[in-house]
Amino acid sequence: MVTRTIDLRSDTVTKPTETMRLAMAKAEVDDDVLIHDPTARQLETEMARITGKEAALFVPSGTMGNLISVLVHCEVRGSEVILGDNSHIHIYENGGISTIGGVHPRTIRNNDDGTMDVELIEAAIRNPNFEICYPKTRLICLENSHANTGGRCLSVEYTDRVGELAKKHGLKLHIDGARIFNAAAALKVPVDRLVQAADSVSVCLSKGLGAPVGSVIVGTKAFIARARILRKTLGGGMRQVGILCAAALVALQENVQKLEIDHKNAKTLAEGLNKIKGLSVDIAAVETNIVYFEILKGSHITALKLGKIMEEHGILLMPDSSSRVRIVIHHQVSASDVQYTLSCIKQAMTGVTDENGGS
Amino acid sequence: MVTRTIDLRSDTVTKPTETMRLAMAKADVDDDVLIYDPTARQLEAEMARITGKEAGLFVPSGTMGNLISVLVHCEIRGSEVILGNNSHIHIYENGGISTIGGVHPRPVKNNDDGTMDIGLIESAIRNPDFEICYPKTRLICLENSHANSGGKCLTVEYTDQVGELAKRHGLKLHIDGARIFNASVALNVPVDRLVQAADSVSVCLSKGLGAPVGSVIVGTESFIARARILRKTLGGGMRQVGILCAAGLVALQENVEKLAIDHKNAKILAEGLNKIKGLSADVASVETNIVYFEILKGSNITAKKLGKIMKEHGILLMPDSSSRVRIVIHHQVSASDVEYTLACIKKAMAGVTDENGSS
Repeated sequence: MVTRTIDLRSDTVTKPTETMRLAMAKAEVDDDVLIHDPTARQLETEMARITGKEAALFVPSGTMGNLISVLVHCEVRGSEVILGDNSHIHIYENGGISTIGGVHPRTIRNNDDGTMDVELIEAAIRNPNFEICYPKTRLICLENSHANTGGRCLSVEYTDRVGELAKKHGLKLHIDGARIFNAAAALKVPVDRLVQAADSVSVCLSKGLGAPVGSVIVGTKAFIARARILRKTLGGGMRQVGILCAAALVALQENVQKLEIDHKNAKTLAEGLNKIKGLSVDIAAVETNIVYFEILKGSHITALKLGKIMEEHGILLMPDSSSRVRIVIHHQVSASDVQYTLSCIKQAMTGVTDENGGS
Repeated sequence: MVTRTIDLRSDTVTKPTETMRLAMAKADVDDDVLIYDPTARQLEAEMARITGKEAGLFVPSGTMGNLISVLVHCEIRGSEVILGNNSHIHIYENGGISTIGGVHPRPVKNNDDGTMDIGLIESAIRNPDFEICYPKTRLICLENSHANSGGKCLTVEYTDQVGELAKRHGLKLHIDGARIFNASVALNVPVDRLVQAADSVSVCLSKGLGAPVGSVIVGTESFIARARILRKTLGGGMRQVGILCAAGLVALQENVEKLAIDHKNAKILAEGLNKIKGLSADVASVETNIVYFEILKGSNITAKKLGKIMKEHGILLMPDSSSRVRIVIHHQVSASDVEYTLACIKKAMAGVTDENGSS
């Protein structure tokens, strides 16, 4: 009989802390559409400062953060954006940049480290001489940390290189920085330096930073002014939204420093999983708070089945394919939760391999 | 020196009450995208029950509520929607149904009472015989109460008539019910009866009902299922959103019964304004919580100037044109606030007419 759930499906599951709940209850608020909610303003100012950008805008989700950013950079009909073929925007955002925004995607292969080859990006930029049959490339999007490759960090050198390429061709650069703080902590590079080359960044507060809701887009004043209007158009203009921003401010103040602990726990987990017979983890690829592990052929258990067994132990995982499982560590997962998880998985794998006599 | 502001610009300015703040702080929450948030689910079930529909969906704003509803009913490219030429969707939602959703509007004249002539609606429905050059009409939208005509209520008879017309032609009916509770209270008709003919309704919690953020869309289960996906696509999928829904539930429990008081105060205000030399208010047309008044020719003061003077007295109004002003009453405006407002406006108008020696 399990009394507590260890939710490892995503860092989006983080629940608001007591400090957050108090802050939300006491938040100073006003109509953020009619005028400007003071707590929203405070959060937006703080995010702009931290990221080294001119201005910022609170939005209900990372999806809206990316959608607004792409659509504002690609305001003119007939635009194209270059992004990773395994990026969150391309895979998990309902194709919104196209279905909602009319922007055409041009995907480039994401390498295992989350990057795209700079030469391939350059080759994908549309030649203006053929504009009669080409859309116009206006934007490049990077994702840092890169989720689908396992929370991999794009270095500041790589980001700067892509930024220079963008500038050379008159393009904008947007960073899907849902987990940019994880990347900054892992790389030991301040966030503002890490995103210096970007024209805009979308940063999630509701993931590892633990706030209940929301993201913040940062960019130039002119960009944010257009973003604010598009936010209203999409329906993201909320009234006394300071309630949510108050929790986000707490997240910034309290939880950034905890990310390193998450990374340490993720590493511990990865090392432990790799020692379990029937499983394999690329430990070197674990740079932040995301761990993918493979169930080896001959293990006679699917990811789905393993997930079900774990659920009985109160542990929730995210099967990624029939043989691949994803675990995301966050500040509401303790070191002992990690140990418990390892022992449960080990037990499950032992059960399976024993039953079948194979390894 | 004014210590308190009387904000009459809109009922969106309502700030969360103590009960709401407590409820938000204690709300039971979870990831509403990954699974579902229990408080969001509770609010959605309650709204579905109250409106007599199968299911509900919490969204960040009325704009998103209408946008999603129109886009789900008009999923197929080449759709057209019939709506009032003075409706909120057509005037104040950034043209999003078109710019974001690719849906073509067919505006029909709004009468002073907020209705559109049924004959005119019917003749606006596209004749399928000419589909080679026509978009396909799929939806009719009504707005109840109708904001721009002064918070006027559409009767249940009228709504049913439009519903029958829609059915006859195979169209859907959506009601922008941002202030549907105001209409229901003013007409003394239960909300579910009032919206019975509608396939979907968008209801605001952040206006007169006083919640800090949000609206709820209601409709059939299959409609809401598609709405949920579109909500995510637009970026309205929030995580531990129960924080906001908890306040929404308090709003439903505590503030519906206060709407009648708002209507009474609006009537008193209108009557008082109409007695002031230089002003005119159509008292009979004040049915809910919105009051428009005219500054008569020869009064030698513009709406903007009057607004400025009122601001010095701590009263905020919404000039609607150079000679027209809008006031919206809500539960955080008391009867004595109304008296004070009348006294200040009277003084301002007396000052102006005296200065100029004429009436």
